[in-house]
Amino acid sequence: MTVQVTPTVEWLNQCYDHEGRHEHVSLYLVRAPEGTVLVDSGSFYHRDAITDAVDAATDGEGPDAIVLSHSDYPHAANVAPLGGDTDDVELVASSASPAQQGLPDARKCDIGGTLTIQGRKFSFVDPPLADRSHTTWIYEHGDGVLFTADGFGNYHDPGECDNLSGDFPDVTPAEDIYEYHRDNLVWLRYVAPEKVERTLDDIFDDVDVAAVAPIHGNPIEADGLDTYRDRLADAMERIAAEHVVA
Amino acid sequence: MPREIVPGIHWIYEAGPDRTESWDLADRNPEWYDPGREAYVPQCAYLVDGGEETLLFDTLSPASTDQILATIDDLVGDRGLDYLVVSHPDVPHAGNTLAILEEHPEATLVAPEYGNDHELYHLDEGLHVDEGDELELGDRTVKFHEATFLDSPVSVWMTEETTETLFPVDWMGFIHLDEEKLRFVDELDGEFDRSRLVEFHGRVLFWYQYIDVEKTNAEIDSLIRRFDPEIVAPAHGLVIREDATEYMAMMKEVTRTIDGQERIGTLG
Repeated sequence: MTVQVTPTVEWLNQCYDHEGRHEHVSLYLVRAPEGTVLVDSGSFYHRDAITDAVDAATDGEGPDAIVLSHSDYPHAANVAPLGGDTDDVELVASSASPAQQGLPDARKCDIGGTLTIQGRKFSFVDPPLADRSHTTWIYEHGDGVLFTADGFGNYHDPGECDNLSGDFPDVTPAEDIYEYHRDNLVWLRYVAPEKVERTLDDIFDDVDVAAVAPIHGNPIEADGLDTYRDRLADAMERIAAEHVVA
Repeated sequence: MPREIVPGIHWIYEAGPDRTESWDLADRNPEWYDPGREAYVPQCAYLVDGGEETLLFDTLSPASTDQILATIDDLVGDRGLDYLVVSHPDVPHAGNTLAILEEHPEATLVAPEYGNDHELYHLDEGLHVDEGDELELGDRTVKFHEATFLDSPVSVWMTEETTETLFPVDWMGFIHLDEEKLRFVDELDGEFDRSRLVEFHGRVLFWYQYIDVEKTNAEIDSLIRRFDPEIVAPAHGLVIREDATEYMAMMKEVTRTIDGQERIGTLG
């Protein structure tokens, strides 16, 4: 399903079923001044649905650019099916060694730097909540959307697949945030959560965010962000407290 | 060319790109670095041959498909490959899984039980292993363990019981100079510079910058007590075959050092 997040950002969501609970494996489409930019390319698991959705969203033209958060399979598996291995589509990735990451040649984005892609300025943010060393969060300067992988995610129930945060009774549920981060960012067992919080504060002081668009969660609108962050902080405290060294 | 660490355990090495420029080594000139030299963070796989059965731990990256297929053939010959273990589905570690299984349909795919999205990584089929599961290969027996320091949730560590070798995957990696490739740490010139471990962990296990130092170091002590290995065979460093637990203990100072400084950088 394709859901409008902000005026120029659309959410192309797919779900993976964990025995009745869902986890998003999404990509996003940015309508930039000079063309369309996909953020991530989704999983091979949803390949047909994704290629159909991108086709529909671009009137059969396909994307003009693909920007990858990282090369992990659920994020980069459809680069070639979406034309990322051709001269027609600009591929942007943070890895300095695309061959080792199984990627075609890509324009390198430096984490901490910016690039103009299809006439839209993108910044590449060093992410505190990720599962690969070369992961970048991506901030588009048009509408002010911060694309995050793999943090800021959540599980959800069937029927909630197309929810933005404001569509929940009270923003993204706390338990869904906790369980997602517990299962997917296992290293949170070892962190001092206040250190992650300081980095998140710096990020959100630095960029004006209209929405946080996670690859593995429901998009978080600006008026739900404080609530989400409070619940994320609680989740990190809980995950750390629950792991006791033997 | 692989190198045999001890009888029946072969170290298969992929250099990857020269990190001199991306890690700014020429300008920063750390003590272990020789100006003008190349430096690498390797990608390593290991083949365990128990005489009766063979097992490959990790696959090298897609940049080295031909290399890993040729090396497997050289090492196992007509006996074939019995097990292919994927430590975690990170592309540089697992990116040749399908190519190897196509070439060796006799092999059983072995993946971590941990995590909950195996289908998204082609890891739903095959044998899933968790803490304490063993495979007896003849003269060698491997045992699997929950990965302690990791990135992907679908992760496993491994030990080989008779040689007391620990395979801690992404933990205990470090950068080395070009002429040091495939050398054991005890063969390096001079004293080992701990800053190599700091450079790696500060970039690759990037979450080290947020750790609870006391808790992490307590976990390291627990790992030393629990495994007490003779050999440490990391995925991204040179093999340690002497004083292995001293290098593990050195990691406590690494965590303290990373805690006290800004993010070192990214892997690139």
